[in-house]
Amino acid sequence: MAEKVIFAMYDDDDKLMDGAKHLVANDVKVSDVYSPMPLHGIDSIIGIEPTRLAITAFMYGITGVILAMIGIRYMMIIDWPMNIGGKPNFSLKENMLSFVPIFFEFTVLCAAHGMAITYLIRNKTLPGMPPRNPDPRTTDDKFVMEIKTSENTHIKESVLSKLIKDTGFLEIEEKSIV
Amino acid sequence: MEYKISERAKKVTLGTAVLGLIFLIIGFFQQKDFVYAKKVDNHSVELLYNGHANLEAQNQLKETIISKMHGYNLEFHDSMHSDNHHKEPSNHHEESNSHPEENEHHGPTFKWLIHLGHANQENESAILENHESGADHLVEMAKSGEISFFDHHFRRFWSNLLVNGFFFFGIALGALFYLALHYATESGWGVVLLRIFEGIMSAMPIGIIALLIVFIVGTFGGHHIYAWMDSHLVDPNSSHFDPIIYGKKAYLNIPFFWIRIVAYFTTFILFLRWFKNKSKEEDEQGGTKIHFTMYRRAALFLVFFAVFSSTMSWDFIMSIDAHWFSTLFGWYCFSGIWLSGMIMVMMITLYLRKGGYLPFVNESHIHDVGKFMFALSFLWSYLWFSQFMLIWYSNIPEEVIYFTERINNYNILFFGTFIVNFFFPMVFFMSRDTKRSAGFLIVIGMLIFIGHWFDVFNMVMPGTLFDQWELGLLELGMFMLFLGLFVYSVLNSLSKSPLLLKNHPFLEESKHHEY
Repeated sequence: MAEKVIFAMYDDDDKLMDGAKHLVANDVKVSDVYSPMPLHGIDSIIGIEPTRLAITAFMYGITGVILAMIGIRYMMIIDWPMNIGGKPNFSLKENMLSFVPIFFEFTVLCAAHGMAITYLIRNKTLPGMPPRNPDPRTTDDKFVMEIKTSENTHIKESVLSKLIKDTGFLEIEEKSIV
Repeated sequence: MEYKISERAKKVTLGTAVLGLIFLIIGFFQQKDFVYAKKVDNHSVELLYNGHANLEAQNQLKETIISKMHGYNLEFHDSMHSDNHHKEPSNHHEESNSHPEENEHHGPTFKWLIHLGHANQENESAILENHESGADHLVEMAKSGEISFFDHHFRRFWSNLLVNGFFFFGIALGALFYLALHYATESGWGVVLLRIFEGIMSAMPIGIIALLIVFIVGTFGGHHIYAWMDSHLVDPNSSHFDPIIYGKKAYLNIPFFWIRIVAYFTTFILFLRWFKNKSKEEDEQGGTKIHFTMYRRAALFLVFFAVFSSTMSWDFIMSIDAHWFSTLFGWYCFSGIWLSGMIMVMMITLYLRKGGYLPFVNESHIHDVGKFMFALSFLWSYLWFSQFMLIWYSNIPEEVIYFTERINNYNILFFGTFIVNFFFPMVFFMSRDTKRSAGFLIVIGMLIFIGHWFDVFNMVMPGTLFDQWELGLLELGMFMLFLGLFVYSVLNSLSKSPLLLKNHPFLEESKHHEY
């Protein structure tokens, strides 16, 4: 059975927000929203779980610190102890203070790059990937709401289309995905 | 929403202050002037003292030592006179009339060689053990201040007055700064909290009065927190001539110091009063005219603050160690000031919110103040570490002495302050949920609030008390006294005006603030 996806397009973010609230209030599941800018509060309206990107950032940061420690220990303590300004260079602990800036920078580097790459992979927007947005205008000044019929089987199709009509969309498009 | 300070709040705050005052008075009479002990061998200890003590006091100390070291036969030898020191005990009478600074470099007041013999012959093995530890015991007692003179200069009292004066002045100043920043950046989110900022900054006079007392007494030579105030140090003919302080004379001299002090305090007080009056006026008039004058005046204040916050921390704190300097010091103080101000805002907000006086303050406002506490903790830690690491790394003697003093004599406090003020906010405020939970905010907020009090303690004490610092009733009492008075004054000034700015142009935005 082919799955039907409804894309309702709006020209104003407030209209979309109100529409989404109206639909959710009537037990309709809105699966996603495409927007050229962040819409504050939309995720809680359509029931998207909070992002776990922050947790990955923390893990990447920890990885960064550990990598930096291992690297510096090998480079500056074991392999080639360098005497810089007469600072202790016999153990990582004694010389820790002078390495803190490097730890810090490497943590930030790992966290930032890890987060960015995770974000791109998770959203399937790595360079060269086919675009997922239903309409190129959602990168300009239009807002699109995505409703899957498979998620709304508990509502009759006629009721659903009436509910969507009530939200005052600009254009509507139905696509069948096999 | 109107707030009236409740009887209970009045009792708690003023009760804390009164209890603090009692502790303070008890602690005041426990101030010690330490004697230095050096173990010569297992049977003898050298005792040395540099301050003032006439013969009577010296004999009293001898008696205390004898009574504390019971079980031993003590013999006192005056090792200073055997060293051919031509210093007679009768000198003390002449000296007590002259300037107190003058005798400090003439050598110690007394130097005793104490020989320990045992009086007790009963248990041979126990005596042998005791005998060996006797010298150590005496050294330990001198180090811990168990045998010491009463400090007639009240150095601990004056240093604590400076610490608390600066800390609580800083909280009020931090609130004033943030209020000005809020107006100058035309922020919307925090409008519902602005009256709390106003309340906290109105408690500024408490800190100012304490600081003024410290400065006035210092100017007239009542204490020596600011060594550069001593005219002997900049007199090339004096035996105490200090070329480094002489080189800084153009900035560090009493008339210019007072010009600056007056400039700071009048500027802050005038802006504070002006902001408060204008916001009251805005409540009555409405419109945007007053808002834009406040916007311009706040920007002007920030210009003054940018200069004054730096020079102020040099004058109040950095000039204690007049030989030392750090270009980061102003920022470092400022970050602490701002953070302690934000913590106070958070505490007062949570308190009022719990009492139901702030129905218009939602979770997002609390979250945002929490973010400030988190971010400013990092700013403070960053500056602390930058200052420490650069000086540690370059290892220039005149700079690094500042930290060697702190690491040698204040080790746990010095690093403990950093760990508490950095790791606690980092670990506990990283998550979004903890920044919205009153329990976390109160517990961690209190911890770093006390941590920042100790930060000021670490800035002041090593330069005034050196290794003779103590944490006792005096410190606790003074802190409680100031805290009680400060919170009372904040709540009192909050009950004088409504808790919501009625006609602020961004009020609606702030009420609906989310995230």
